[in-house]
Amino acid sequence: MNNMANENFKNIRVGLFVISGTLLFILALYLVGSQQNLFGDNFTIRSRFYNVNGLTQGNNVRFAGINVGTVESVEILNDTAVDVVMTIEKKIQPYIKKNAIATVGTDGLMGNKLVNINSVKESATAIEEGDVLVSMGPVEMDEMVRTLNVTNENIKVITTNLRGITDKINSKNSLWSLLMDTVVSENVKSAVVNLKLISDQGISVTGNLKGLTEDMLAGKGSIGALITDTMLSKKINQTVVKLQRLSDTAAIITGNISQLVQQLKQGKGSLGILLHDTSLVHNLNKSILSIDTGAVNFNENMKALKYTWPFKKYYKKNPSKR
Amino acid sequence: MVPKGLKRFLAEAGEIGRFTARFFNEAFKPRYEIQELLRQCYFIGYNSLGLVAVTAFIMGLVITIQSRPTLVEFGAEAWLPKMVSVSLIREIAPVITALICAGKIGSGIGAELGSMKVTEQIDAMEVSGTNPFKYLIATRVMAATLMVPILAVMADAVSLYGGYLGANIHGVVSWSLFWNQVFETLTYSDIFPSIVKTFFFGFAIGIIGCYKGYNSSKGTEGVGQSANSAVVISSLLVFVLDLLAVQISDLMNFT
Repeated sequence: MNNMANENFKNIRVGLFVISGTLLFILALYLVGSQQNLFGDNFTIRSRFYNVNGLTQGNNVRFAGINVGTVESVEILNDTAVDVVMTIEKKIQPYIKKNAIATVGTDGLMGNKLVNINSVKESATAIEEGDVLVSMGPVEMDEMVRTLNVTNENIKVITTNLRGITDKINSKNSLWSLLMDTVVSENVKSAVVNLKLISDQGISVTGNLKGLTEDMLAGKGSIGALITDTMLSKKINQTVVKLQRLSDTAAIITGNISQLVQQLKQGKGSLGILLHDTSLVHNLNKSILSIDTGAVNFNENMKALKYTWPFKKYYKKNPSKR
Repeated sequence: MVPKGLKRFLAEAGEIGRFTARFFNEAFKPRYEIQELLRQCYFIGYNSLGLVAVTAFIMGLVITIQSRPTLVEFGAEAWLPKMVSVSLIREIAPVITALICAGKIGSGIGAELGSMKVTEQIDAMEVSGTNPFKYLIATRVMAATLMVPILAVMADAVSLYGGYLGANIHGVVSWSLFWNQVFETLTYSDIFPSIVKTFFFGFAIGIIGCYKGYNSSKGTEGVGQSANSAVVISSLLVFVLDLLAVQISDLMNFT
């Protein structure tokens, strides 16, 4: 019996050993399979490329940089199109839009090829089973190298030119003499020192100006006093008031003058009477008339006087006065 | 004329071939010695687990530490788990397991059967009516063929754990990152050929051990000789089979 129990015990151990080994194996198979999306819900999408750069079945498909599926098959459709079927996890489906762009890329610089699916800014509905994604040509190493080649040629030309320039600088002494001349540099130095002095003085001047304006504001000095003296301003104010009064009186005076002139017009007062008395005017007219006749008479008397001696002699000498 | 050594080698190869043919002839016919098979599984499988686990652990650790300087030189330190997992799963763990088993099981079977042969126990068995080939040899070969793959799977797991510890000696690789990288790198074409070939390793170890023991002669001296040559030939066969396996899997595009 003991032997039998012992045998049983050993068999249990063998069973445990076999089962654990098998489970480990199955676990490994499952983990490897789940990395390749062999289990779980999947859906397939397609994309057509002009060139797949060595993409093969089983390569990863990345959406926004995350592994979401694998390449199921790569088949030639015609001379310019290669059909790539991709198996994508079902849970990613809502995030991939119909206008997403598929590109063939590389994992790192030298790693495996993979398909990158990237979203674009425009909105679209979610992708569905069997949809064909727009593809974009891969970044080809050859092309990059070609571009680099052009860049290299350009750099070659540029460096040749630079070399010519430096050669010219080296061969001619003028620039070197300028660069090497200590006197010039001394002069430049002293000029700079002087400039510094000037600017220092400028600073002190502006400082003084600042002080001055501050003093003025503070009421120091004559201008300051002028600006800030409140007594003076009061006096000026009073003067202005007096001036105002003066002009007021002047207005009154002109008003009186106006009245006077009016009265004069109406003949009021002695001067008015004098101006408006018509008999007086008549008399004056008479007297002017008589003065006129008197002057005519006087004229005749003067003519008569011309021909009388001694005036006769004078007119003879100046005939134009006749 | 054919040299004497070559003649002996060819004769032995033919003998082993005939022995193998006899195994296939008799092993799958009833009546089956299930109880004896389980007993052999216990000895061959369960009792070898500790030895295989320790060896695999050390190999995983050592390979990881040894690979690091080269990868650091290329600036590809992050690829350490990937590289180590591929080399461990594809080659190192199965072969190390097979070699340990060749040493432990091959010598054990050879010595046990050899001593039974020289003490004429096998002849007695034949007289008493039990088929000694079925009871002694078929069970042992079957047990070796079935147990070595399981040991190899466990060695894979333990060696990867050793690799995890090795990767964390100088760098920092988290537990989940390590296993993620390992299973991201591994494919079925890495795992299946490496497991399938361990069946052949186990079969070779069992059949050579049994052949050497079953055909031992010259008394107690012959027991030691048969144990010794069982280990040598089965170890050599493991490498030859490995060479064949890698070429076949390469031909079938399991790369």
